[in-house]
Amino acid sequence: MFLNSVVLVLQEALEAALLISVLLVFSKHYQIKPRWVLVSIGLGSMGALIFALNMALVSEWFDYVGQEVINALIQFSILFLLGLLVLSLSINNPFIKPNTNVIKSNLWIMVCMILLVCLAITREGSEIFIYIGGVINQPSYAQPTLAGSGIGAGIGISAGVLIYYGLLGVTRNKVTAISLSLLSLVGGNMASQAVLLLTQADWLPYSQILWDSSAQIPENSVIGHLLYALIGYEATPSLFQFSAYLGGISLILIFWLLGKLIDVPSTMALDAENTGY
Amino acid sequence: MTLKLVCRLPVIAIVFLSIVLASHYALAATPVIEIKIQNHLFLPETIKIPANTKVKLLINNLDPTAEEFESYELNREKVISGNRKAVIFIGPLPPGEYPFFGEFYPKTAQGKVVVIEP
Repeated sequence: MFLNSVVLVLQEALEAALLISVLLVFSKHYQIKPRWVLVSIGLGSMGALIFALNMALVSEWFDYVGQEVINALIQFSILFLLGLLVLSLSINNPFIKPNTNVIKSNLWIMVCMILLVCLAITREGSEIFIYIGGVINQPSYAQPTLAGSGIGAGIGISAGVLIYYGLLGVTRNKVTAISLSLLSLVGGNMASQAVLLLTQADWLPYSQILWDSSAQIPENSVIGHLLYALIGYEATPSLFQFSAYLGGISLILIFWLLGKLIDVPSTMALDAENTGY
Repeated sequence: MTLKLVCRLPVIAIVFLSIVLASHYALAATPVIEIKIQNHLFLPETIKIPANTKVKLLINNLDPTAEEFESYELNREKVISGNRKAVIFIGPLPPGEYPFFGEFYPKTAQGKVVVIEP
């Protein structure tokens, strides 16, 4: 029970930790105060609790596949928000376009980040709440489960801190490229997981399995779990899942490139002129 | 005349596709397999399904606690609340054995799907 809860909570925590630490790096470079993280963790935990309490009801929607449909919806929303965030980060990149209207653009970036983390925690956290909620009533399980969950969460948070300081240590030229790559992997992961859920719900048809790497890297191995949490590793991905993964990655990168093409300093300057800045 | 036909083509295609899809779903009724969860055990532990066929698993959790159906081999994961039912679609699959387990109580909740040639 102890080890099981470590793995279960760690896996969920790692996904959120990766997203939060990358977003924190961006917010540092864009001079956004990191308070937004606390707001989003608070809102996300509340969302997770509400989702967990209503899971039984939600699961019965759409002929007993409501859980898949709602989770897929959350994942597509995360992908969409990541796209919007990357677009606004790219438009207002302080390294390239130092004249942009920082306060105005940063508010939008912060709202995107809060919503992203809030949705991610709602999704990941609900499963943890349901798990702990069930086990806590059984005295023999309660203690090892709570201890294991605490350790799992601790390792997850430590990994997040490591990623954060690791990224801060990288030179300015490289930090954007690395952070952007990580965000695009999160985007690909979301799209792939959403497609898998919709296939499980029979909302999407079956598509052929592209490869089987379960002999090389089993999904239930330590590396398998780690890779699943960080890049959405699947040992037997289907054609649709893999296409969605590539689509998700491309979407984030296209939004970034799109933002670079939009010449904001001139419009912002015009805006500033009009408002009397 | 040709332009008219070109304009109508999408409509004809949609109608044709709807007929094909409707008949497909009407004819191919998905087999349903029922599994119970009781005292953190899957009952039955082994289920047999035909190869290359999509199957609907109807899982009835009789325990008051939630369980998570999980299978790396089947690529499936779903929380099933206490005293509730859940549906999971699997397949079509090639013949073989596909273990599954309850992620919340993995010590006892173990089972497998055996896919056999029809």
